[in-house]
Amino acid sequence: MAPRVGLRSLEKRRTLIDGVRSNIHVLMLGVKYFVNPRRMTLVYPREYPKLSEGYRGFIILKKEKCISCAACARICPSAAMKMIRVQEPDPKHPGKAKMKQYPVINYQRCIFCGYCVDVCPTEALYHVNYHDIVYDNLADMFWDLETFQREPEYKTAAEGRPVRIVIHEELGLVKVPVEDKA
Amino acid sequence: MSGEVRVYGGWRDDLGLRVIPSKRIGKDVYEVFIGPQHPGSGHMRIIIRVDGDVIVEADPDIGYVHRTMEKLGEIRGWIKPIPLFERMAIHDACNITLPYVRAVEKLMGVEAPLRAKYLRVLLCEINRIASHLYGFAIFSIFLGHSTMYMWAMGDREVFIQLAEELTGARLTHSYPIPGGVRRDIPQGFPDMARRAVRYMRKRLEEYRKMFLENPVIRSRLEGVGVIPKNLAAELGLVGPNARGSGIAYDVRIIEPYEVYDELDFEVPVYTEGDALARTYVRVEEIAQSLRIIEQVVDWLEKKPREPIVDESIYKKYPPLHKKILESQGRAKLLPWMATMKVPAGAAIGRGETGRGEIIYYVESDGGVNPYRVRIVTPSARNVIAFKYALPGHRVMDLPAIYGSLDYFPPEADR
Repeated sequence: MAPRVGLRSLEKRRTLIDGVRSNIHVLMLGVKYFVNPRRMTLVYPREYPKLSEGYRGFIILKKEKCISCAACARICPSAAMKMIRVQEPDPKHPGKAKMKQYPVINYQRCIFCGYCVDVCPTEALYHVNYHDIVYDNLADMFWDLETFQREPEYKTAAEGRPVRIVIHEELGLVKVPVEDKA
Repeated sequence: MSGEVRVYGGWRDDLGLRVIPSKRIGKDVYEVFIGPQHPGSGHMRIIIRVDGDVIVEADPDIGYVHRTMEKLGEIRGWIKPIPLFERMAIHDACNITLPYVRAVEKLMGVEAPLRAKYLRVLLCEINRIASHLYGFAIFSIFLGHSTMYMWAMGDREVFIQLAEELTGARLTHSYPIPGGVRRDIPQGFPDMARRAVRYMRKRLEEYRKMFLENPVIRSRLEGVGVIPKNLAAELGLVGPNARGSGIAYDVRIIEPYEVYDELDFEVPVYTEGDALARTYVRVEEIAQSLRIIEQVVDWLEKKPREPIVDESIYKKYPPLHKKILESQGRAKLLPWMATMKVPAGAAIGRGETGRGEIIYYVESDGGVNPYRVRIVTPSARNVIAFKYALPGHRVMDLPAIYGSLDYFPPEADR
C-alpha cells in the first residue's frame, strides 16, 4: 500500500475508422443529453440554497457571554474586527458606571475565515448559515454593537423557497425542496 | 495634414493618436501582444513574434497580479498568513497552504494527529480534483469546446459542495492550522463523498467520449507544444507538465507527506510531452484522487473520533473547547495563537498542489512574525515553458498550449 508511478503512453495516431467511430460516440452522447437533459438551475431568488449548519456566514455576537478578552480582534487576519469601549452600569457597585470593551465588525473587510468564532474562549460569537445580504450603502456594513448582536434580516428567505442542494450519484448536484422554512 | 498618416508600425487615427496593431521588427517578422486582456488568460501577456502565421519567438510577460505575498507574510503573525496565502490559488486552497502550515509545525515542534492528517489529505484531494476541473474548463473554452467547459465547471461544483460541507466555506477554507485541522467530518459526509466519487467516475467516462477521444480535439492537441523530457528537466518544470513529459516527479512520491505513503494510488506519467499527454495526466490524476478520497473516507468512518489537534495544544484546551470538539467536531483555536512566538530557526515545507510542487521557506527569529517567508509556486516554475513550447507553432495553437500548461497567473505572480 504505497503510492507508485504508473507509466503510460497514449495510443498511436488513429485511423479514419476510429475517428468516425469516436465522432459517432460524441454525437450519440449529445443526442442523449438533448433528449434527457441534466440541468440544475437554481432560480435565485425565488429559490435559495439552505446551507448547512456549519456554514461560515455572517458572524453575530452574544454580548452577555463576551468577556472582553479581545482575542477575536487580535486574530482577525483582515483587521475587520475591532474593540470599542462602552460605558455600562457596574453590577458590583450599583449606581456607578464602568468601562467595558466589546468587539464590533466591519463587513467591508471581513473574509469569513471564522478565526474569531473559533478563537472565542466563551463561544460568544457564532456564524449564521447565510451570507447573501445586500447593503444600500457601504456605511451600513460597519456594524455597531447593537447591530452586531442581531442576526441580520434574511430577506431572501422571506421571498424565496428554500432548497437543499445534495449530491446525487447519477445526476450530480440536485436540489431538494426543504419543507420547514425555519 | 489630412487623412491617414502612416507611421512606423502603425497609423494615426482621426484624433492623431498612434494606433499600433502590430510592430514590424524584421523582415516579415511582426510582434503581437496577446493579453493581458486575453479572454480567459487571466492577468498575463504573451509577446509573440510571428513570421506569417508561425510563431518564431515567444516571451511570457508576467507580474500583472503581483501582491507582495512574501512581504505581507512577514507582518501578520504566524496564523494569519494562512487565509492570505490561499489567495494565490483559491480553488486549490488546502494544497497551497498546507506546506506553510507544515513548515510552521516543524518550527513549533508540533505534529498533527493521524486523524487530522487524513482530513488534510481528504481536502487536498478534493481541491486537486476541483483545481484540475477548473483548468480543464478553461482549456476547453480556449479550444472553443463550450460543452466541456460547462460540464467541467458544473462537476467542479460537486467537489466545492463537498469542501463546503467539510469546512464551511466554498473556496477559501483556511482548513489546516499549525497542529491540526479546524473541523472533523460532519454527519453523513462519507456517504456524500462516496456518491460524488461514483458520479465523477461515470462522468470521466463521458469526458473521454466527448473531449479526449473527440477527433477534432485530438487533431488540435496531438503533437502540439511538445516539451521533450530533457528540456522539461532543464527548465525545471513541475507537476502535470513534467509528468506529461515522462518525468516521474511528484512530491507525494519522492517525499511523502501527511499520510500519502499509506495510501494506494498511482501517479500517472506519460512520455509524449505534447498537449494531449498533459491533458491525459490531469484526467488520470482526477481518477486517482477519487481513489484516494474513497480510501480516506473509509478510514475516517472506521476509526473512532479522536482530537484533531496536537496533544500539546489539546492539553491546554479548557473544558468548553473539549465539549465543542466532541459535540460539533470543531477544533477551537486558543487565544495565544494570535500572537504566538515561534522558536528561532528555519524550515522548508514542500507539497504537491494541483499544478505541481510548491515550496515554502519559513524563517523565524523567535518573534511574533515570520522573519522571512519565501514561496516558490508551481506556476512560477512552469511559466518558462511558454518560451520553448510555443515557437514553431501557428498562432491558432497558442490557446491549446496555454490551456494545456494550466498556467495560473495569480499563483505565479503571488
